[in-house]
Amino acid sequence: MAREGESRSFRRKFCKLCFDKVERIDYKDDRRLTRFITDRGKIVPRRISGTCARHQSQITEAVKRARILALLPFTSEQYR
Amino acid sequence: MKTYETTIIFDPGLEEARINEEVDRVSQSISQAGGEVVEVQRWGKRKLAYNIRKRRDGTYIHIKHKSPPELIGEMDRRFRLNEGVLRHLTVLAVKESPRAEEPGRAAEPAAAAAAGAAHATQSEEKV
Repeated sequence: MAREGESRSFRRKFCKLCFDKVERIDYKDDRRLTRFITDRGKIVPRRISGTCARHQSQITEAVKRARILALLPFTSEQYR
Repeated sequence: MKTYETTIIFDPGLEEARINEEVDRVSQSISQAGGEVVEVQRWGKRKLAYNIRKRRDGTYIHIKHKSPPELIGEMDRRFRLNEGVLRHLTVLAVKESPRAEEPGRAAEPAAAAAAGAAHATQSEEKV
């Protein structure tokens, strides 16, 4: 029922990849890709990371290829 | 002929020589098929993000090459048959935009401009 939660924390998000003018995301660049996956290994959604559509689609394709090459995990276990 | 990027993960147990032999075999098959190896990168032994065939590490080889399309299917077949290859992936190479170094970008426009100018003068003469 509380309404005030989401408006308070909203601040202008910008696409970090456009910010440092990256033209093409490379599936081999696992250091950069790790910034866009959660600790569970899931891809961070646009609404959280604020990336633009163009870069987000490059990220998803690159992450999926990197996973095939075992550069990134499909899922990383958390020990309960 | 298009440019491809092929990445291969070899069993970490294989020694250096054996892997070099495999890489040479691939390069030869590329040149025999009329293709051209652009670049071979050896990333060496790396820890895998998850186990593949009960192995925790793998030796990565990355080959950028220009090849005829039929070769890709053939390479895939060979890699599947090859025990030493844990995993392989061939991808269409995208024009590599310079990530870190900027000069690469500066060089390109100059070349493009020159080509453009040459082209312009030619068409003028035709008119």
